[in-house]
Amino acid sequence: MRVKKPDGEIVDLMTINIGPSHPATHGTLRLFAALDGETITAAVGEMGYLHRGFEKMVEQGTYQMVLPFTDRLNYCSSMMNNIGFCKAAETMFGVTLPERCVTLRVILLELSRMIDHLVCNGANLVDLGALTNFWYFFNPRERVYAIWERLCGARLTNTVTRIGGMYRDTYPGFEQDVLAAVQVIEDAVTEVMGLIERNRIFVDRTRNIGTMSAAGAISAGWTGPCLRASGVDRDLRKDEPYYGYETYEFDTVVGTTGDTYDRIMVRMYEMRESAKIVRQAVARLKPGPINCADARLSLPSRNHVYHDMEALINSFKLVYEGVRPPAGECYDALEAANGELGFLIVSDGGTNPYRIKVRPPCFTQWSAYPDMLTGAMLPDVASSLGSINIIAGELDR
Amino acid sequence: MSDAIKPGLPADQLLALLAPLGGTKDEADRWGLTVRVPREQLRAALLVLRDGESTRMDQLLDVCGIDYLSYPDWRGQRFAVSYPLKSTVFRHRLTLKVLIEEDDAVVPSAHDLFRSADWAERECWDQVGIVFADHPNLKRLLNHHEFVGHPLRKDYPCQKRQKLSINDPMIDQLAAKLTQLGYEVLEMPVASAGLALTPMHQKETQS
Repeated sequence: MRVKKPDGEIVDLMTINIGPSHPATHGTLRLFAALDGETITAAVGEMGYLHRGFEKMVEQGTYQMVLPFTDRLNYCSSMMNNIGFCKAAETMFGVTLPERCVTLRVILLELSRMIDHLVCNGANLVDLGALTNFWYFFNPRERVYAIWERLCGARLTNTVTRIGGMYRDTYPGFEQDVLAAVQVIEDAVTEVMGLIERNRIFVDRTRNIGTMSAAGAISAGWTGPCLRASGVDRDLRKDEPYYGYETYEFDTVVGTTGDTYDRIMVRMYEMRESAKIVRQAVARLKPGPINCADARLSLPSRNHVYHDMEALINSFKLVYEGVRPPAGECYDALEAANGELGFLIVSDGGTNPYRIKVRPPCFTQWSAYPDMLTGAMLPDVASSLGSINIIAGELDR
Repeated sequence: MSDAIKPGLPADQLLALLAPLGGTKDEADRWGLTVRVPREQLRAALLVLRDGESTRMDQLLDVCGIDYLSYPDWRGQRFAVSYPLKSTVFRHRLTLKVLIEEDDAVVPSAHDLFRSADWAERECWDQVGIVFADHPNLKRLLNHHEFVGHPLRKDYPCQKRQKLSINDPMIDQLAAKLTQLGYEVLEMPVASAGLALTPMHQKETQS
């Protein structure tokens, strides 16, 4: 591609496709870039290679049938999507969840945040050539997946919540397993930090690379760790607390320059903060019901169903038709590992959702990414792409 | 920037700010605050909310198209576009909503007001078929460039299949980006000239 530079020089730029099936894109993302030597003059991005039509599919079934689809949004932390969708639907019903359910969800949310950050940083470090850290991170992650498996039978696609409660209660020994896993993750973070924090190669390859200013991040609609790395201290857990997050003691982690280094470090320190929350939540976990007693949402007890006509009808209606949120439109969000995960639910009062719009956190990050590359070096593509944690499942839906 | 978030304006004050622009409360949203504005006032309303000292809604989270074709007892325009907004300064949220007719499904673009609007509007065009006037690059986003129709319209059959013959070369987009950066494109490469940095690339050069 022959171009005339702003200073009048005529150069031949090489055009190059990065992706959609490049190992460093960790998913199906495509960048199309013009290179002047090894410097990226301009780049444009494309998405949609993993588009399944989530929003069309969920209109075909009931509200409960949406849940398995949400697993496949951000598949590195499926439970956060489950909880996010259920939270939005529960907001529409206006129900209050029992204490145990809320505390359990906080534990699952924070453990999910930790494993999501483990994947993001572990894979990002592989892209930088630091393979050892990958094993240091993926072994502790496996501990959490063992807990998921014992909790609900599935490792990746959990579908662990129900609208109005949980799929089922924990197993004996759950608390000990969680505390042990958290300790193992914390140890892994310490080990990896020791390897990278002042490692010359790592610092040189991440400092002032892929920088995003605070104003740029806000206008681009960034949320979550990437926004905080740019120095904007916004976290839904603090700003619009839900599930009693205001009663837990933890800090938000904020960066200064918004470069790749900051984004990796924000995630590192956030895992330690999540560990604090999990320990507090486990200490609060008291026996009790895990489903709300609302007849619109929860199945009546078997004893009632066998002896009471109304309970039998209720059970049938819930199983065959499903739940019916009141008609209206509701946007609700929670702080997922990547940022604000929002669901806009349009209900017509029926059993099938009329329209569900997912607001995936990495959509805004990916849309701003090609512009971040202007003037960067080709090897920085992989390192900065890993640090904004694009998950194609939730990006393309 | 690391100040604690300030309490936001209550719903009635936010509504009063938008009343001069024809803003009315949308009763469908009983959980948050959704304000309907006429299409002509959309950009003015976005600016008032973004730049107002007491609102500072500097983040456009999404652009969401809704098709009311099969909504029970719906008597109104067929399409709506929702703009959920939030602030990084105050603890308040607001969703702007514009209702538009089927034969005139055009909304002014907000890509120059919020950077996040650019791709979000492309997605809305792709999925629901809302045209965003003055958008610089209103291409499909989730579906491929040979796709016909808009899948999230209620009259689009769920099982319909469409095929793709060749990938979007994206050279036009790259040339536009270079022009935007001050370069003058003298010669465009043919579509197949782009080198691919993928696992396939190695295989191709070996054979």
